[in-house]
Amino acid sequence: MNEKVLTQHFDLKNLFQIEVYLKEAGYQAVQKALKQLKPAQILEEVKKANLRGRGGAGFPAGVKWGFVLQAVDKPKYLCVNADEGEPGTFKDRYIMSHNPHLLLEGIIITSYCVGIHTAFIYIRGEYEAIALRLEQAISEAYQHGYLGKNILKSGFDLDVYVHRGAGAYICGEETALLESLEGKRGHPRLKPPFPASVGLFNSPTVINNVETLSNVPYIILKGAEWFCQLGLPKDGGTRIFAVSGLVKKPGIYELPLGTNLKDIIFKHAGGMRNGHKLKAVIPGGMSAPILKADEIDIPMDFDSLMSAGSMLGSGAIIVIDEETSMLDVLKVVTKFYSHESCGQCTPCRVGNSWINKIVTRIAAGKGKKKDLDNIIRLASNIKGNTLCPLGDAAAMPVLSIAQKFREELELYIQS
Amino acid sequence: MSPKFSAQVNKEIEDIIARYPKKEAAILPVLHVVQREVGFISGEEEKFVADLLEIKPIKVREVVSFYTILNSEPRGKYHIQVCSSISCSLLGAGNLISYLEKKLGIKVGQTSPDRKFTLSTVECLGACEQAPAMMINFDYYGHLDEKKIDEILEKLE
Amino acid sequence: MIKMVKIFIDDKQLEVEEGLTILQAAEQAGIDIPHLCYHPAFPPEGSCRLCLVEIEGIPELELSCSTKVREGMKIQTKSQKVIEARQGVLEFLLAEHPLDCPFCDKAGECKLQDYYEEYGLFDSQFDEYKEKRDKKVKIGKNLILDRERCILCTRCVRFLREVTKTQELGVFKRGIKSEIGIYNGFPVNNNYSGNLAEICPVGAITDLDFRFKTRSWFLEKGNSICPLCSRGCNIQIEYHPGLGRFALPQRVYRVKARQNMKVNSFWICDKGRYGYSYLDKNRTSKLVRPNINQKQDINWDEVLDYLTAKLKSLYFMNKTSQVALVLNSWLSNEELFLARKIFNEDLKVTNIFFADLPDEEGDGFLLTSERSPNKRGAKEIGWAYVPFTLEALAENEINCLLIFGSFFEQLLNPAQLKSALGSIETKILLSSHRPELESAFDLILPTAVIAEKEGSLTNTEGLVQGFSPALPPWGESRAEWKILIELAKRLDINFAFYRRLSSPELIYQEMAEEIPFFRKEK
Repeated sequence: MNEKVLTQHFDLKNLFQIEVYLKEAGYQAVQKALKQLKPAQILEEVKKANLRGRGGAGFPAGVKWGFVLQAVDKPKYLCVNADEGEPGTFKDRYIMSHNPHLLLEGIIITSYCVGIHTAFIYIRGEYEAIALRLEQAISEAYQHGYLGKNILKSGFDLDVYVHRGAGAYICGEETALLESLEGKRGHPRLKPPFPASVGLFNSPTVINNVETLSNVPYIILKGAEWFCQLGLPKDGGTRIFAVSGLVKKPGIYELPLGTNLKDIIFKHAGGMRNGHKLKAVIPGGMSAPILKADEIDIPMDFDSLMSAGSMLGSGAIIVIDEETSMLDVLKVVTKFYSHESCGQCTPCRVGNSWINKIVTRIAAGKGKKKDLDNIIRLASNIKGNTLCPLGDAAAMPVLSIAQKFREELELYIQS
Repeated sequence: MSPKFSAQVNKEIEDIIARYPKKEAAILPVLHVVQREVGFISGEEEKFVADLLEIKPIKVREVVSFYTILNSEPRGKYHIQVCSSISCSLLGAGNLISYLEKKLGIKVGQTSPDRKFTLSTVECLGACEQAPAMMINFDYYGHLDEKKIDEILEKLE
Repeated sequence: MIKMVKIFIDDKQLEVEEGLTILQAAEQAGIDIPHLCYHPAFPPEGSCRLCLVEIEGIPELELSCSTKVREGMKIQTKSQKVIEARQGVLEFLLAEHPLDCPFCDKAGECKLQDYYEEYGLFDSQFDEYKEKRDKKVKIGKNLILDRERCILCTRCVRFLREVTKTQELGVFKRGIKSEIGIYNGFPVNNNYSGNLAEICPVGAITDLDFRFKTRSWFLEKGNSICPLCSRGCNIQIEYHPGLGRFALPQRVYRVKARQNMKVNSFWICDKGRYGYSYLDKNRTSKLVRPNINQKQDINWDEVLDYLTAKLKSLYFMNKTSQVALVLNSWLSNEELFLARKIFNEDLKVTNIFFADLPDEEGDGFLLTSERSPNKRGAKEIGWAYVPFTLEALAENEINCLLIFGSFFEQLLNPAQLKSALGSIETKILLSSHRPELESAFDLILPTAVIAEKEGSLTNTEGLVQGFSPALPPWGESRAEWKILIELAKRLDINFAFYRRLSSPELIYQEMAEEIPFFRKEK
């Protein structure tokens, strides 16, 4: 039976209220961390746990923290990436609305470990109700002494603030998030320098996803070894897979890393809706290259999906059936990226809009023979040549759809 | 502080600005408050925010024009934002958008003559398990069909 | 101690300073890597993506504008992969760019044209509708923005943010809808607005002063120094050489900035940029005796002989106290030096004054309060600055007045001046510009402007800068130093000394020997 970690208490009524949370042994991880462990010990444990980022990039959290821990001469910041803009992804929404105190515990322990005294939760603007819930939880935490000055008499101070975004997918990219938090347009920055040395307000900054941080309290309580054996040798823990699209039971499913994609769709999410046949699956949020029906017998982990030419990304699984036109899918995909491009760099700004214009023209019945070759060529010119990963995120699904479903797309052009 | 806001709102804005080492970092939270109170960010509001945060008004406009949620023109009382991203499209968002256009008598991007509804399409709302979904102002509604939409709109004063 | 590193660019081994970017190192080695958003005045922006290069050992292409060199780095700027990426970026830029070349002012000096010619030359595959945008947005007193041509390199925005710190321009909206603009009511009206048209790599921001007047390839270019204040900004003057018999509406069409990190960095102010009409307007072009009905043209020999005779007779009668000389601070170091030697030392003239444009407010950046280029030079050469006044004329019995330059008219009441001149026997004007009171003078000698002669100037900070002719001479005008040397030789008080000073360079060397200040590097 799969052990549930993050979602284990989600069915509890009013879990988001601190009284209920405390009753379920809440804030014990913070107690243990601040009273019994040194920051270096916490870092070691998180590194040993092989906790990789759950926002999309999969960077080892412990390694990231290590860079920032070394910096000594400036105030440090923690930015919680709660922007959750990757289409198909809604797992962080569940964590924040059902168990905000779990996230807060993760924030407190992380900040204590790295030496951070101010944390901002950058939450997407649309999640207004969630932001209010978070603010309420934060207020409760202050009242109970888990935030503010001299937490649990440990001498450690921490302030946490909620900072709402205002509708820009690009602000989920870490440097665009920093720009937005600093009060500017969400234009990604050139790297190097990396946020670990020059981040928020020029200071060393840790940026972690909501799900990533929410695992930290359990790692502290139950240890790195336990966390590792839940998952795979290089990827510790569970993942919350957000399943949507044409399945019977869309929703979140917390499962071990390495769970088979086919099983997730057919065993857990109830299989296909309306008895239709499966046509394709996007396995890691819309930016992940698409998998055909004969490619879904695959473990959901970073390496397996990478070898298959796709990626684990945000772990959002979008299921497409035989009744769906891949041209429509391509249209929705290209519309998204051309709308969300920040406009800073040439290939993404012009390329995404151009590809979207071609696809729209094909959908209007005016396709030309060279269109698909051009789409592939243009997407290839975007990939690898942009200032930030949004260019790749846009190019990869377009390339995979245009290449794997070429025959079907050509039908739209001929007719 | 602005004379057109209540003391409570002015305090809210003050508290927000105090969180940040640089005043201009408060621009998004402050603009959310202003838009909540005024409905949109006009030239007057741009100047107010600029003076408050000690930046030039052009910087405020640069920010407002970048983010989808912030608008420089007034919208209807209820801003109906239908998700048109991948999962919702798979579940028939397109048809619902057409239905709403017919029902409200306006096209996407327009506001009804009585200024009650503005209809927009937006990108992924993060409510994919409830697809097709929409957001009215900041309230989420999912598992939509025509009947449900009728029920929801009826309840809106 | 600057550390050097060994790198390879296109298989060529180079030794460059550590800390340089690949683009800067390549530039030093004479290898041009195409770029649009990068400008040496600002930190790298990295948004145009045109400067991508291939670095051995790194799978993805990297930006040469922002990647610093490291020991042993091997860079390819023309490999297959790089050319493909470059063409890809060019194709994107051109896809949403209007085909305006036939009527775009930037044609002939447009980076997009240049790079397409060198790296593009492919057919357009863009079969869609281009974004329609405003093409004639007035963003400043002299500037027009064409949003369809704009490639969003943001050089203009960054200039106003980092150099003038006035931030008049911003980027609005997002993605393909992004556009540059001003905030209503706050156009770009600072004193450096003209630099925007220069730094815009395409014809998006164009200069109203140049709009539709000519084509860049018709213009000749010459280097000079701006004389409109004492900063000494390095400029490039662009002029039309003429179309034979056909008269042109103007000679000089444009003044641009020339880079000089010791003086003006990459910029010039609008005063200098747009104040070039003095080069062509109201110029003196012939030797003139205003009050004599000339049947024939007089020539320089006659004029110089006349002048020599006048001065020599007064000199031999010990009556040079009756001579008044008015100099100005537009004269070069060499000319001011000669004037001192000839009039002060040789002829023992004591009534020597200066007439310059009055001071105005400086702008705290390049524009100084002095409205002439060489007041510092005059000081270093030893001139006591005595302003020219009518009282001074009246106090001393002057019967021979020599004035250099027409600036005196700005300082004095015309009616009073006319009557004062009326009581002086001999009045000679040496000027590049015709005075209002032309008829008050016996003789007017046309002189060259700084842009038409050779010499050196000393700026307000004591930097000595040499200059050579940027424009061909106007009419019969001559440089003042030439006139002075000729005069000195004819006066024959110290012939041997002046005979060997046959060029400004030689005059400068002599000056440096006498005055230690000028012994430094020019």
